[in-house]
Amino acid sequence: MLRSLTVLLCFASPVRADVNDYADTFVGRGYALLATSAQMLSDGARADCSPDALKPIFFSTYDAWIAVSHFQFGPVEDRNLALAMTFWPDPKDRVGKAITRLSVAQDPVVDDPDLFAEVSVAAQGFTALERVLFDPQSGPDYACRLIQAIAAEIARNSALIHADWAEFSELMRTAGAPENTRFQSTDEVTRALYTSLSVGLEFLHHQRLGRPLGTFERPRPRRAEARRSGRAQQHVELSLIALNILSIHLGGGDAPRTYAAFEDALDRVRALDDPAFAGVAEPQARLRLESLQRSVRDIQEAAEDEIGARLGISAGFNALDGD
Amino acid sequence: MTHRRDVLAGLGALPFLTSASWADLGKPVAGSGARTAGGQDVFVGLCAQGNMTFEVPLPARGHAAAAHPKFAELVAIARRPGAFSKVIECSSGRILHVLNAPVGRHFYGHAAFSVDGQHLFTTENDIETGEGRIGVWDRSLRYARVGEFSSGGIGPHEVILLSSGALAVANGGIRTHPDSGREALNLATMRANLTILSQSGEILNQAFLPQAERLNSVRHIAEGPDDAILCGLQWQGDLFETPSLLALFDPQAGLYPIPVSDTLLRKLKGYIGSVAALGDTGFAASAPRGNRILSVSQAGEVFAEHKSEDACGIARLGSGKALVTNGLGQVMELSSGRLETVQSVPLRFDNHLIAL
Repeated sequence: MLRSLTVLLCFASPVRADVNDYADTFVGRGYALLATSAQMLSDGARADCSPDALKPIFFSTYDAWIAVSHFQFGPVEDRNLALAMTFWPDPKDRVGKAITRLSVAQDPVVDDPDLFAEVSVAAQGFTALERVLFDPQSGPDYACRLIQAIAAEIARNSALIHADWAEFSELMRTAGAPENTRFQSTDEVTRALYTSLSVGLEFLHHQRLGRPLGTFERPRPRRAEARRSGRAQQHVELSLIALNILSIHLGGGDAPRTYAAFEDALDRVRALDDPAFAGVAEPQARLRLESLQRSVRDIQEAAEDEIGARLGISAGFNALDGD
Repeated sequence: MTHRRDVLAGLGALPFLTSASWADLGKPVAGSGARTAGGQDVFVGLCAQGNMTFEVPLPARGHAAAAHPKFAELVAIARRPGAFSKVIECSSGRILHVLNAPVGRHFYGHAAFSVDGQHLFTTENDIETGEGRIGVWDRSLRYARVGEFSSGGIGPHEVILLSSGALAVANGGIRTHPDSGREALNLATMRANLTILSQSGEILNQAFLPQAERLNSVRHIAEGPDDAILCGLQWQGDLFETPSLLALFDPQAGLYPIPVSDTLLRKLKGYIGSVAALGDTGFAASAPRGNRILSVSQAGEVFAEHKSEDACGIARLGSGKALVTNGLGQVMELSSGRLETVQSVPLRFDNHLIAL
């Protein structure tokens, strides 16, 4: 399952890579991989919409997205596509409600891609597709059309993201040039990337791990990300790898505590056999997940000290005021 | 020096009050607390082009400040739960007076002057009961405390003077106790409200958000045309369940949340930092955690979002325009749906930019 990311990893030069190298190699290629894979997913759904036939390509396309989803700015943000790609966390079950609404009404909106692009984003992305592929559906014919519609929408959005990338990466490259209004200095690019790192780590700690962990008295296994397809553990590993690479570039290869903490967290997640994090409710497995969460906290602290401080970036003066 | 002042006061002179006007200080249009690169807390005046017109040191990081309507005199309000607020003469930087919260009280971050500038109203916490209070201070009596009344709720944060002369108070609904810092002690029962009070404390109007938005704290407010008040909210529940972050008050219709798309809500991270009324073009609101400034129509529709990292301060700058400041030292101009940087200074601007 990790093959796609391993391919990307081969391009990693361990030290002294600058942020544009990072963007081209990991984000640019990552988007290309996503677009290609998503097109295969859509084509595959048209050829055979049975869940069993589609699951393998669903998994690899989802992998491709998770590997780049920490990159918070650029085409995804400009086109407001983050939620359309994955609608999670979803405490109010908006995804379930949106899918049920379409299915109960047998809404023909699924047959027209332009109209489907206008339905609730909760029904459009990987989270919705997972639901239809892994939860029993009442009407197989409508479920098939819905699967095809969602797969086509994922392909379309992935293609848009990839198509916009060339222009956006040029803006990153020419930061500080007089005509560049998007990035007035290279510092702004670095700052945006550092934000992606810190927000990505926080998302790992608070949401991907924190949400299912809940409290000791009240663990919340049903809140785990992508639990239906058993991908919660996989998402943690993929995002750790992606963020680790970003930290290597931002830290110029010289942030030893950060890298060691990443290694520790990766060791811990790879030692798990708890694909949907159901173990949060069992004492032994829970301990392992709590240790993993603590190791993510260690990464956060080390990255703040070693990378953020060196770049002269501290957390928001106003954002943290809380008043 | 102190002796001489006391003597002069005894003679009826008032050197404790500023006589310089704001115009004497280089015509600032707005002012904000800020922290310098060296870590000194200051208050600075900004002209319309974003340049600094004056800078005075502050003894600690403030939250908001109340500017005297006429004279270049400023009351820097302590961040909650501080018990001291300082009256600063902006021409010299001198601290003219210290406002001490009465025993058992602390300030809650904001204050407002009466139109004539004689009275100052401060939001406060009665620590023992958790009741919100409005303290009344008289400038002509060297800022003596001359009265107080109920704020109409728990955890009052921003107080503003309305065009009618009444006061509007954002009662955030959150009970805190200095012993536990800023920790919310009453989430199980919290309910924010917006209360309109006369200057003598009579409740003229009061409105609540719907029960489903019980965990939304009303914290910052701005008065627009037709007595409408925009409220900036802070959600205390699961961030991914945030129902709304802005609400519009109409004296007849009450307080109703402004619907915002899921996509935008998730970007805002449950937190609006300040709001301002811009005249005919509506309002602006800042979301420093979401790194965004929002343009809001008079009817309460978010019609534009602008990215700016850690942006929080907004002050009206003539009709339809505003100055915006952020924690990176950028001064920006917001006009007709565009946000442009006009100046960058080596300061971290604090939460609130006030119009002078």
